[in-house]
Amino acid sequence: MKKLFLFFISQVILLPLFSQQQVNGKITDEKNIPVAGASVQVKNTLRGTFSDIDGGFVIVASSNDTLVLSMLGMATQKIPVAGQTVINVKLLEESKELNEVVVIGYGTVRKSDLTGSVASVKSVDLTKITSLNPEQALQGKVTGVQVTSTSGAPGALPTLRIRGVGTFGNSSPIFVVDGVILDDISFLNSEDIASMEILKDASATAIYGSRGANGVILVTTKTGQKGEGKAVFSYSGEYSVQILAKKIDLLTGPEYATVVNEITPTYNNVNLVPNTDWQSLIFHPASIQSHQLSASGATQNNQYYLSMGYFKQEGIVDRSSYERVTFQLNNTYSLTKNIKVSNFMTITPYKQQNAPDVTYSAYRARPDLLPYNQDGSYAQVFNVGNPLADLAYSNNYNKGVRGVGNLFTEATILKNFKAKTSIGLDAAYNQAISFAPAYFVSPQQQNLLNTLTKGNSDNITWLWENTLSYNKQFGVHSIDIVSGYTMQKATSEDFSMTGKNIIRTSPDFWYFNPNYIYDPTNGVNTLGNISNGVDPNQNYSMISYLFRANYTYNSKYILTATFRRDGSSKFSPGNRYGNFPSFAAGWNVSKEHFMENLPFISNLKVRGSWGIIGNDKIAYTNQYSLTQTMITVLGNPPTANSAVTYSVSGNPNLKWESTTQSDAGLEIGLFKNKLTGEFDYYNRVTSNILIPLSTPDYLGNGQGAKVEFNAASVKNTGFESKITWKDKIGQVGYSITVLGSTIKNTVLKVGGSSGIDSVLYGGYLANGLPVTQSRVGLPIGAFYGYKTNGIFQSVADLNAYPHLSTAVPGDLRIVDVNNDGKIDGNDRTYIGSPIPKFILGLNLEADYKGFDFSVDIQGVYGNKIFNAKEVVRPDPYNWEKHVLGAWTGPGTSNTEPIASYGGNNYLPSDKFIQDGSFTRLRNVTLGYTLPSGLTRKIAVSQIRIYIKGSNIYTLTKFTGYTPEIGSSDVLSNGIDYGTYPITSVYSFGINLTF
Amino acid sequence: MLFCMFILIAGCTDFLQIDPQGDLTQASFPTSSSDALQATNAVYAAVRNWYYNSGGYPILDIMSDDAYKGSNTNDQLTTVGAYDNFTFNSTGDGLDRWWATLYQGIRWANVVIEKVPVIPMDTTLRNRYVGEVRFLRGLFYFDLVRAWGGVPEVTASIPPLHLGRATSDEIYSLIVSDLQYAETHLTTKSELISSDMGRATSGAAEALLAKVYLFQKDFVNAELYALKVIQSNEYSLEPRFIDANGVNGNNGVESIFEVGALGVEDYEGGGAQYANTQGVRGSPNRGWGFNRPSIDLRKSFEPGDPRLKGTIIDLGDTLDGVLIIGDPDPANDPVIKLNKNGDTINIQCYNRKVWTPGNDTPTQWSHHRRLIRYADVLLMAAEAMNENGKPADALTYLNQVRKRARGGNISVLPDVTITDKNLLRDKILLERRHELALEGERFWDLVRTGNAATVLGPLGFIPGKHEVLPIHQSEIDISQGSLTQNPNY
Repeated sequence: MKKLFLFFISQVILLPLFSQQQVNGKITDEKNIPVAGASVQVKNTLRGTFSDIDGGFVIVASSNDTLVLSMLGMATQKIPVAGQTVINVKLLEESKELNEVVVIGYGTVRKSDLTGSVASVKSVDLTKITSLNPEQALQGKVTGVQVTSTSGAPGALPTLRIRGVGTFGNSSPIFVVDGVILDDISFLNSEDIASMEILKDASATAIYGSRGANGVILVTTKTGQKGEGKAVFSYSGEYSVQILAKKIDLLTGPEYATVVNEITPTYNNVNLVPNTDWQSLIFHPASIQSHQLSASGATQNNQYYLSMGYFKQEGIVDRSSYERVTFQLNNTYSLTKNIKVSNFMTITPYKQQNAPDVTYSAYRARPDLLPYNQDGSYAQVFNVGNPLADLAYSNNYNKGVRGVGNLFTEATILKNFKAKTSIGLDAAYNQAISFAPAYFVSPQQQNLLNTLTKGNSDNITWLWENTLSYNKQFGVHSIDIVSGYTMQKATSEDFSMTGKNIIRTSPDFWYFNPNYIYDPTNGVNTLGNISNGVDPNQNYSMISYLFRANYTYNSKYILTATFRRDGSSKFSPGNRYGNFPSFAAGWNVSKEHFMENLPFISNLKVRGSWGIIGNDKIAYTNQYSLTQTMITVLGNPPTANSAVTYSVSGNPNLKWESTTQSDAGLEIGLFKNKLTGEFDYYNRVTSNILIPLSTPDYLGNGQGAKVEFNAASVKNTGFESKITWKDKIGQVGYSITVLGSTIKNTVLKVGGSSGIDSVLYGGYLANGLPVTQSRVGLPIGAFYGYKTNGIFQSVADLNAYPHLSTAVPGDLRIVDVNNDGKIDGNDRTYIGSPIPKFILGLNLEADYKGFDFSVDIQGVYGNKIFNAKEVVRPDPYNWEKHVLGAWTGPGTSNTEPIASYGGNNYLPSDKFIQDGSFTRLRNVTLGYTLPSGLTRKIAVSQIRIYIKGSNIYTLTKFTGYTPEIGSSDVLSNGIDYGTYPITSVYSFGINLTF
Repeated sequence: MLFCMFILIAGCTDFLQIDPQGDLTQASFPTSSSDALQATNAVYAAVRNWYYNSGGYPILDIMSDDAYKGSNTNDQLTTVGAYDNFTFNSTGDGLDRWWATLYQGIRWANVVIEKVPVIPMDTTLRNRYVGEVRFLRGLFYFDLVRAWGGVPEVTASIPPLHLGRATSDEIYSLIVSDLQYAETHLTTKSELISSDMGRATSGAAEALLAKVYLFQKDFVNAELYALKVIQSNEYSLEPRFIDANGVNGNNGVESIFEVGALGVEDYEGGGAQYANTQGVRGSPNRGWGFNRPSIDLRKSFEPGDPRLKGTIIDLGDTLDGVLIIGDPDPANDPVIKLNKNGDTINIQCYNRKVWTPGNDTPTQWSHHRRLIRYADVLLMAAEAMNENGKPADALTYLNQVRKRARGGNISVLPDVTITDKNLLRDKILLERRHELALEGERFWDLVRTGNAATVLGPLGFIPGKHEVLPIHQSEIDISQGSLTQNPNY
């Protein structure tokens, strides 16, 4: 820090001032209507003002100054004072799309000068979906981006995949929030975000080198707009109700009894069997409320944006909720003419309660069992436990605080150089608390002793970035160069402890003392459990060098070259550094003279890029061969003795994963940009992917022990298109946007010379069977199991085909895929892909006078879902409705096998594969802004009220709660284990601006 | 600015070096006397690992005529169920777990055998540590060679990636040399201080040597080592049969080598899942109820043999004040299952030998599995001496076992007086069945005495195939051709 301070002081340069005069003027638009609130700035000074309600302004400037007049949505004009004292200006509406400034890594660029594939999402679109997490808002809004919820539980993080699945490990993009590199942004309030830029191709991401391989999302939080003049206060409030969108069609009590009777006659009169609808018992509507208050604005030397938000979501299952407060403090100070200091800071305390996994137990609980005994106590529910008791005895919380901030100093040196240094910090502290009281429901559902577990974790990452940029125009040539040096270090620590025999159950007693950990009878740690260590993914350091040059000729031809060199502590010294170059070119065809003959083409640009990007999301310990600590029980009486021995051997030869990506893009605007389109084709090949490979068990690494190798390769290709039509009919403004993305994911290599596996298994069921297999030629995490082909109708039928030794008539006929005359594990094969072939987004917007209306539709097509919740059945559980059509004798069914509690027909097979395609009415919003004449009377500049619905309707063949089934593990994607359902949300809200 | 950067880089040459936090690397362990103790202790943790018990489920008993799969009808039906009728194949459940855990124990032993001898420390203690782990390595290889025949011979802590199979003779000679080293350098059980109880002893090495020779049909050496154990006067039979495996006999007079465990429901905390796997299912909830005693075993006991109730828990029994209800849901598991002819083909019952007093699950994890007990040594001595033409001595040891089993009731289990070698051999084998039922001995006893085809044939046993298990297919695949499969799999 001391060095930084010296640096900062050394940059302070004061410039002399010139003699000045007063200039008056008036700003109007094309129709001579006064423009209020436009910014009038004396170029290269801090002096500025805003036009008043009649468009008038007064400013002090010297004769050789230039005035810069700007207004959001209008083309900026620069007018030399040249001795004038009255300057009247007509500001013209600008073509937004083209002059729009896009944030890119370590800088900004005009959209027309962009050579990479970058998508922008603005604040309006970010708040359309009622969600804790701003990532959710990207669903259906950006081509090439797939956002998938993993669960509907309050606080659950969605998974984000940009341009397919790029690696076998962590395939999530990184986030850069106001310059700080992060893994997620769940701590941000969507209201505080000005824009999100999704960097997709190598040209855009290579500046992030070893982190960029799976895409980069730049998040820019709001700042006070200079144009705002005076302080703007705003309040947003929203209240929502979440409801379960759909119940799963399960058997009723009598139906269940009927099926059981087919297996073993058990119920004499099925009509007398009770009917418990467990789904209705555990799900109920729940609320979400959010409030946000902000103040923003600018003074002469200072821009500020200060906000505070509150969010609280109750879960549709009891004992789940999420509560969060966000503070966003952003300031920019112009200290001198050449030195600017800014800070961005978010502080987010939160508290989350997690429900036990009752969704799955309610799915499996037998409907013929009552929830309560006659005395009101929880009744025994065979095999799964009583879901209501699970809920009642659950106390599981996370609480903590996350603070992310960045302090920058930017100095203009000479004329064209800018030096910038920034210190970013991400500090997170979390405590997980769970308490289970002693209880007894049944022998299978009991807890003998009050049990308390607490786990504390902290993660602190700092990032120091220094860049020097150069920007110069020589006639038609324009050059933009940025170079930099950065350092980063992440540290973390986890500590957790379990104790038993807690003296009382109330939260006031949820604190440890030695009696809870050590058994007083032998002084041994038999009751409790302590663990302490670092998070192996959050313990690293990095040094990087970065460089980018952008050259533009006459706004027509653009060339970009970037390079980053990263060194990471995650690799051994010989493999520590990786180099990541990229090149890109763009051609604004529409600026050529010959295009003047085609006036309906307002914009046409082609661009292409190539580059190599890296991925280092692995544990820092993989390079080391470690030891492990254990307990050995010796002595009379038996006592725990400490023991240490070798753990799995590591691989010191690990090196960077690298992704080579090519992109070709076309941007077109027709009819004065009423119709715009953006099309991209990409080809991404990731090689040297780090995968855990099996080594022979005789090495003694332990059963199934795996060692990391750089041994896999994956290709993703796809086509992305975004087409927007925007126009006005009378007073109705409207726009229609269609987004489409294709994904083709193919594994090119698994294992290989280092050995060992040629497939990677994943998607393990509770009984240990894998249902995905990644092998060459198939997509990552492809479903894997038996193919079936009808049902054995008779013994003769059974004998006519190869079958399992335990097969009986009525069982599924498993296909002898390898034609060896027998059915065994070798007949398991590819039975579908969890990765969609096509992703659709459809957004409609319209406004009329004070009304605004928008509809978003989202769709995913061509993927399969494995209905795992139906599979693992060692015991009698409830069934889905289709079991009513079970085979009962020859000719009764050729699709639904004989009813059984488990066994052959529940082996992972295509019987459990369902079409995962869906089309969803993602969002409908109707808003009304009260006439300003009315609101001004109560000193409010704007009042907007709105109603909206999210996830209103989903068109799908999938029988589960939702076809949207994500997993952070790319090998377990699209498997419905019976997770917490995603809800439909209906909201009412109000936005006020003072 | 550049200047500042250079200062910083120069000052931070180690900025990119982050050493493991909280873990030693293999290069820095073991290097001291206390490290040597910890590394030795670790090898014992391998025998408490659930997978050490034939991959978790007691498949050796399930393959024998003593037990069915057990648990709920459908639970592990296609996986563990395959061992009930010999339908398992090279992808059979648990084979990989068992194999891997034995080799993991071998690796941990090799760490001590390789690294401890060069640590400057007390020589006697150092040799004792090496002796302990060589005993354990012998124990691991003995399982490997019986289950799979000739297996890769690994004697280094970091072996080469590709290894072929050694012959079973080579493995047996490694086992014998390990156990002989252990016999020489270990103390007797009575010399162990109470906090070291459970460590390998010279008596344990001798008892295991007797068994190793018995499996090689070297009856002279089997007799030699069995008698060494008997004549050491270190061991005797528990007065009550149920204490031979029960909590009252933990580290008791009959125990030659056992696996210590605490009543904690996880391996990391010191618990052993062996008994939990077989514990009473339902009410009380002691476990999963695998390894259900077979009707054949039930019927095979001599009339009035008290060991029947010491071997099988029936529903309605009360043990240590706990009423056994079992799984009350007939849909899960009927109490009695009849076939079409009305014959009883299954009775819901549990393994008495893993019973621990209590009515909850954690206490079941405190069961100490006996790996070798004195009654087994007596029966081994009887068997070897019968083969060596010493029937009178054989009867002495056999009848010691029967006398204890009788429990003072002179009207049952009369002394055996047969002296015909063949008849006595059969009698001793049957006595082993009753004394050691559900302790993992029966299947291998049938195989080594050549009776497997006759006894287990009706269950699906194929001679020339099922004497050994298949090497798991994944291990064969991973070895890329260096391992060959056992015949007929």
